[in-house]
Amino acid sequence: MSLLVGSELKRDYALNGQPVHALRGVSLTIDAGDYIAIAGPSGSGKSTLLHILGGIDAPSSGQVRIEGRLLASLSDRHLTQLRLTRLGFVFQRFHLLPMLTALENVELPLAEAGTRRTDRRARARELLEYVGLGARAGHRATQLSGGEMQRVAIARALANRPALILADEPTGELDRETGQEILDLFRRINRDGATLVVVTHDDRLAAEASRVIHMQDGRIVG
Amino acid sequence: MRIGWGIRNLARQPLRTALSLLGIAVASAMLLDMVMLSGGLERSFERLLLGRGYQIRLTPKGTLPFDTEATLSRASAVIAEVRADTGVAAAGGVLGGSLYARRGDSLITFFGYGIDPSAQALYQVTRGRDLAPGDTLGIVLSEAAARALGSGPGDSVSVAGGLDPQLATAGTERRLQVRGLVRWLYDYRGQRSVGLVLPLMQRLTRAGADRASVVMVRARNDAEVAALAARLEKRHPRLEVSSVADLVQQVRDRLVYFRQLSYILGSVSLIVTVLLVATLLAITVNERLGEIATLRAIGVSRLTVVGQVVAEGTALTALGAGLGVALGLVTARYLDTILTSFPGLPAAISFFVPDGRALAIATAVLLAAGALAGLYPAWLAARAPIADTLRAEAT
Amino acid sequence: MLLALLLLPTGDPAQLPAQEVAVERRLAGELGLRVGDSIRIGPSPDSLRMAGIVAAVYEPRPDPSGIMRRDKQIRMHLPDLATLLGHPDRVDRFGVSLRAGIAPESAAARLNRAAFGYRARPSAEIAAESSQTFLVVSRFHRAIGVITIVAGAVFLLCIMLLKVEERRLDAAVMRFVGVRRRTIFAALLLEAALIAVAGSAFGVVLAWIAGAATNAYYQRLFDTRLVFSLVTPGIVGFSVALSLLLGLGAGALAAWRLVRTPPMVLWGRA
Repeated sequence: MSLLVGSELKRDYALNGQPVHALRGVSLTIDAGDYIAIAGPSGSGKSTLLHILGGIDAPSSGQVRIEGRLLASLSDRHLTQLRLTRLGFVFQRFHLLPMLTALENVELPLAEAGTRRTDRRARARELLEYVGLGARAGHRATQLSGGEMQRVAIARALANRPALILADEPTGELDRETGQEILDLFRRINRDGATLVVVTHDDRLAAEASRVIHMQDGRIVG
Repeated sequence: MRIGWGIRNLARQPLRTALSLLGIAVASAMLLDMVMLSGGLERSFERLLLGRGYQIRLTPKGTLPFDTEATLSRASAVIAEVRADTGVAAAGGVLGGSLYARRGDSLITFFGYGIDPSAQALYQVTRGRDLAPGDTLGIVLSEAAARALGSGPGDSVSVAGGLDPQLATAGTERRLQVRGLVRWLYDYRGQRSVGLVLPLMQRLTRAGADRASVVMVRARNDAEVAALAARLEKRHPRLEVSSVADLVQQVRDRLVYFRQLSYILGSVSLIVTVLLVATLLAITVNERLGEIATLRAIGVSRLTVVGQVVAEGTALTALGAGLGVALGLVTARYLDTILTSFPGLPAAISFFVPDGRALAIATAVLLAAGALAGLYPAWLAARAPIADTLRAEAT
Repeated sequence: MLLALLLLPTGDPAQLPAQEVAVERRLAGELGLRVGDSIRIGPSPDSLRMAGIVAAVYEPRPDPSGIMRRDKQIRMHLPDLATLLGHPDRVDRFGVSLRAGIAPESAAARLNRAAFGYRARPSAEIAAESSQTFLVVSRFHRAIGVITIVAGAVFLLCIMLLKVEERRLDAAVMRFVGVRRRTIFAALLLEAALIAVAGSAFGVVLAWIAGAATNAYYQRLFDTRLVFSLVTPGIVGFSVALSLLLGLGAGALAAWRLVRTPPMVLWGRA
């Protein structure tokens, strides 16, 4: 069974009173272990597609199944629970909580999932070591560089051992060198068994992926 | 246990948090003061009245103790009849009036209390000793009276009553020995008061024989005060029978303004707190919409988001209220010094009297208000569509 | 002469020649008295020895010092009252009206030197002394007012800071495109001034309404024509000036904080 199946996804919304057809019938299948890059110019619907695949937005029509479960049939509570335990998100702007330490930011999804304090501490440390930030665990997010913050965000995404990681322009705010570090990390994560879907403008990241989906004007063109 | 990211947000903008705390502290202090004010005077007055255990007072019809110059006649008969009731532990008459003494060329006026030393609730001896029953050669003085006369325990003083102001001559004058100095419980600050046995006071003043301003009654059993008051009222229809509860009610009626003011200002304080917390949280939540949307995206539930924001509001209110308690006690003392300067108010009276239960309720209401104030912005934040919010943040 | 007297309405014809008595409206209402009714008067319940006829029902001048005590009054001819109390030819006080141009203080001093057994005092001095209670209440109100102003000022400052900070991105963009700090500061200050003016106007209306409600309530509660709350031009002027000052001050402080922050910090990239 495929990990994720999206069928005839359409998404329309209004922006400043004008209709926007962000997706115009997109279908795709993601299998476990895939490393997929979604590329395309700005406004092509990449991020919209990612949001719909991750259950944080609902399509105007079409359906998404994750591990056989139809997202549209899930309540908000169950959808949230799905995102907590089966999916991981990485965003362009990191969105760490600035008053928490790196360790506490990674612990957050574990705490939400009800993991015991000692266990979640240990897991968070392990993940920070994995992303190369073991020594920075006690630093607050505001004390970290952009690259470090993104690595903490990746560790956070891995916290509950998700089936699928969805990343939206993960190197968008980073310089070339730091971006490369993130690419290396993604490569390692995928090699270690994680399934990745990454929206990107970055050619290097697209080159790393096992499959590239090109989008334009809300459609898959390649 | 979840990580308290909500509460930690208070440290994110220290100046903003500090100002909010200050605002909540001032509002809490005002609420605390108003809780103390509402009923404070009555509590203080009640404590004063019950301090010596005399729960009932008999006065001329339509008057309150020492409210007018009116006196009741046949005082000794009334007292004997009252003492005959099995519910009465003690009863004594008091006659109030003006007495005079000379010091050099000055004529000094005093307020004189004619009392029964074996059944009085008006003073406590601070130096020397008390009058003995029937001691027609002795006098007790307040500290202010003693200073005015330049006398102390053991000294002799001449006091007069029934002064004719035009001729400046006294109707009756007596030389008495100061037995002791006393603290008069109902005197205002600096009042010059003296105490004599009742029969002597009756002779000195022009009140007339066997008259008293008030008869004070102590019941054997606190639980039977109301029944005893009812019996006395029935037996003495031409007298005003007032229990402590009646007197407190009278005071409450006369000073209804302060109670109403305390309710109004207390309510305003609560509203200010709610507005401040709600506005602060609404703005800070609005600033963190992207952050909150991300948290929702990674699987944090709406309930957690709401809980954390409400916790933030509650923590802010609790910290502010804590400061407010300290500030409130200081401002209460200041406001009390203003109000207790009312002319003629007994020095023992306070307007701002802490009542543990009321303060606890007020604090609980304040905390609840702070929590509720955060509820609406929290709910709005939790319900914000995740994708739209993230999209807006990205642009 | 003022003393506690007791009245007893009666339908019985008086034994002694009846004297004219004027009864205040509230007392007449309580006892159900009308002009022409017969009453008995005395200094104690045991000696209601004088007969009276209600000659008039009058409304006493509103007296703030009497409002809490709820005293009831009657008026009699002076000789009748003096006789009733057993002190013929005795009074508590004299009232003295001076010719134009005579200062009360000097007249009082002359009277005090000339005679003995009494003390003459200007009415203003007595009024001041008997107003002590109200001075205390005024001080209390002032203290509450100061506390309220402090609370309001803190609240205002907090809100101003929050609202101005909300627009930090706009301010950053304006600085990026070359708008001067002075211009941004002036714009924010103008906005604060407009809010302060609007708020003051609203506050004046609110104060007038609250004052009217206060008077209506307490006049009914105490059955009096006394005015409890008065919004005077002076009070309005002071309040508006103060609120403008506080509003502008809070706005200036918030605006100054915003414009002195580097635009990249405002943008969130520094």
